[in-house]
Amino acid sequence: MGHILPRSAIATLERVSYVYPGSERPALLNVDLEIPRGQIIGIVGPTGSGKTTLCLSLNGIVPQFYGGRFFGRVTVAGLDTVDRPIHELARHVGMVFQDPETQIITASVETEVAFALENLKLPAAEIRTRVKAALEAVHLEGVAKKHPHSLSGGQQQRLAIASALAIRPELIVFDEPTSQLDPRSAEEVFSLIREISRSFGATVVIASHAAEEMASTVDRLVVLREGKVAADGPADGIYGNLPLLERAQLRPPDVTAAFSLLAARGLQTGPLPTRLADGIRALELLPKAQPFRPEVEPTFDPGILPILSLRKVSYTYWDGTRALEAVSVDIHRGDYTIILGQNGAGKSTLIKHFLNLLAPSSGEVLMDGKPVSSYSVPEIAHRIGYVPQNPDRHLFNATVETEVSFSLRVTDLPQEEKTRRVEEALATLDLTRYRLKHPFALSKGDRARVVVAAILVMEPEILIFDEPTTGQDDWGARAILELTKRLHARGKTIIVITHHLGLMPGFARRALVMGGGRILLDAPIRDAYHDDAILEKTFLKVTQIVALARAARPENYALTPTELAGSFL
Amino acid sequence: MMLPELQRVTRSTFFSRLDFRTKLMTFAYVSIVAALWDNPLLGGVLMLAILGACLGVGVSLTYLGFMFRVMTPFFLLLLLTHGLFNVEYVLRLTGHAHLTPVLTIPASWPLLGGRSVSREGLLYGVNVIFKSMTFLLLIPLCVFTTDPNHLVVGLVRLRVPYKLAFVVSATLRFFPMIFGEIQAVMETQRLRGFALEDMGPVQRVRVYAKTSVPVILSALFKAQQIEVVMRSKAFSGDPDRTYLEHSAMHAPDWIFASALTVAFGAALWSYFAVGFGSFVG
Repeated sequence: MGHILPRSAIATLERVSYVYPGSERPALLNVDLEIPRGQIIGIVGPTGSGKTTLCLSLNGIVPQFYGGRFFGRVTVAGLDTVDRPIHELARHVGMVFQDPETQIITASVETEVAFALENLKLPAAEIRTRVKAALEAVHLEGVAKKHPHSLSGGQQQRLAIASALAIRPELIVFDEPTSQLDPRSAEEVFSLIREISRSFGATVVIASHAAEEMASTVDRLVVLREGKVAADGPADGIYGNLPLLERAQLRPPDVTAAFSLLAARGLQTGPLPTRLADGIRALELLPKAQPFRPEVEPTFDPGILPILSLRKVSYTYWDGTRALEAVSVDIHRGDYTIILGQNGAGKSTLIKHFLNLLAPSSGEVLMDGKPVSSYSVPEIAHRIGYVPQNPDRHLFNATVETEVSFSLRVTDLPQEEKTRRVEEALATLDLTRYRLKHPFALSKGDRARVVVAAILVMEPEILIFDEPTTGQDDWGARAILELTKRLHARGKTIIVITHHLGLMPGFARRALVMGGGRILLDAPIRDAYHDDAILEKTFLKVTQIVALARAARPENYALTPTELAGSFL
Repeated sequence: MMLPELQRVTRSTFFSRLDFRTKLMTFAYVSIVAALWDNPLLGGVLMLAILGACLGVGVSLTYLGFMFRVMTPFFLLLLLTHGLFNVEYVLRLTGHAHLTPVLTIPASWPLLGGRSVSREGLLYGVNVIFKSMTFLLLIPLCVFTTDPNHLVVGLVRLRVPYKLAFVVSATLRFFPMIFGEIQAVMETQRLRGFALEDMGPVQRVRVYAKTSVPVILSALFKAQQIEVVMRSKAFSGDPDRTYLEHSAMHAPDWIFASALTVAFGAALWSYFAVGFGSFVG
């Protein structure tokens, strides 16, 4: 105590450096930051830049929980976060984390909100009052007695926000709160953050990769790079400074990217818009956009048998959940298909049928015209490679090389062929230099590539990527998508499950939109992205570029900033 | 396959509304009686009564079926072991000079050749299976019908240290997560071409051992994440924390507990005084 804060600051970081135990590289390095009361501050930076560490330093988890070497000083509400116990700091700092699953502790919505208040030893009557108020604030008042796991991902994050809000902290910290949510749920969370800030005057810190939502939410942006503050200023100024973002390995909001291209062509003057509404207003000052709808090339030869087919497949889980409803779909050799839909739309259940991990309750699943159930497990593994959302589930060997070669052990291929495949897979995925390293010693992006290499040695014709961009920063996500593009160019059939619509144009050709266990739309990606009524049905929303294109001219079907900018003469 | 939710049944019944301390008393009394009774007929009746109670409170058939499937190999092993090898103890229990053979293994078979599976040994094996089933069924009956928060409060009222009570409830929450992780890892193994059903036992054990690596790592990672979340919510393990829920023994608790105590006393008296529940071969 006793530290005199500037009148308006709720938290300050002074020359803060921190090194995790067992690490040599500092996660934070000489960070100076002042967080004034009432502001919404965004923390951005590529994966590993120190965003989470900074968030955790605000409630003392770093360094008190993790240990390690900590230098400098962090104060929150006048309390030194190294000297004061975490449970005392929790009275002043509410935290909302990334993963809805692991941040829910108890078995009902109301007891979840009450958990921190009980730890803070508030009387039961006061807890009841606060729980009610917090649930009302996040619009969850009708579900107090429900089990948190029965809520949607977006509702679970709203519950986590209610838990933080109930403490009535002076500062609420959000660490990647929407990275695992579908676009509609993510929008719900960001809109709630704005509402909380307005209604309660709470100071908010958000770390996120979601450029579009951050631009329309935060007042100020702090850019971290390799643990250091690379820039700190108004959000508009930073998102509008493309060279700065490029250096920090960040992407601007799509609206900003499109207007920067227009500025390069002399069509846009003045500051670049960073929010969609500003972009739509700025369109009025531009010449009329041209219609844009390139011809769709056929993605397959209709005379050739599809490689994978579902015929009127329905599936009901043991608890009665109807996950698929008479789904019929064909995947053709050489397709690059994305499967879109909200969390729970049936995307993963559909894929599990292709992989013969689930047997349909009714209908049939075919591979090359034969029931998929007639193939053995190794046969399917040789035909279809599956890259899970969490690559770590695939890793259980001590070196990258043994991991990549592991699947070949149960094959009767000659040793020379096995060696050739392993070397080729390592080279294709740029992993040769890591061959003797432990897979878990690599970054998440590299671990994902190890998994892809381990699958490629089987030389499958079809590769299925399950939410490959979730939890990745923009560069990591693009690297994985570029890899899918290279594999597609080599003749592989690619299926990507995703709800990150913004990243997929330029990669996929066909989109399957799922909702409520049905295929709502099977169309070329351009048509699907512009069908807002269908996207709405499955809690997706059109991308900023699509919204701008349609505002510019209804006949404009642009999907990328380049296409949109190119349609203005 | 989705895994059964191991944590809670939500149907509101007389039993589920009882205080957790009353349920613990039920658990203790029934367990003691099940352990004492060696009579397979009575053991079976007791097991069926608890099974009926489980179904009555809403424990799903899916969960019960899952539990039975998992336990079946152990039960078969128990049956065979008692039928073949439990000779001295069963002779002492029955007071007979010989056991009744129902199956004799040909003398030419290695190790077991010439041994007989006895009727009394099998019956004793059945009795042990019923005991085991009774214990196993008491868990969903008493634990799954209790909101984990009531469970914590109930244990704290029984003077169990808060940290320990919380660990019990957290374990219940963690189990489904770990099972889900194991299932996901096993699925990825299949997708890399490993057909466990086609493998010999040694190879299968090797694959299971490999599987444990990501499961353990994931469990440790998630446990650490949960601890970070709990600390951020001011959790310190302080026993003086307050509770939204309160634990109270109401009239139905006292009536049920009293009736159960009388029944328990009667069972003890009849067992020790007149041998009611003893093994009959």
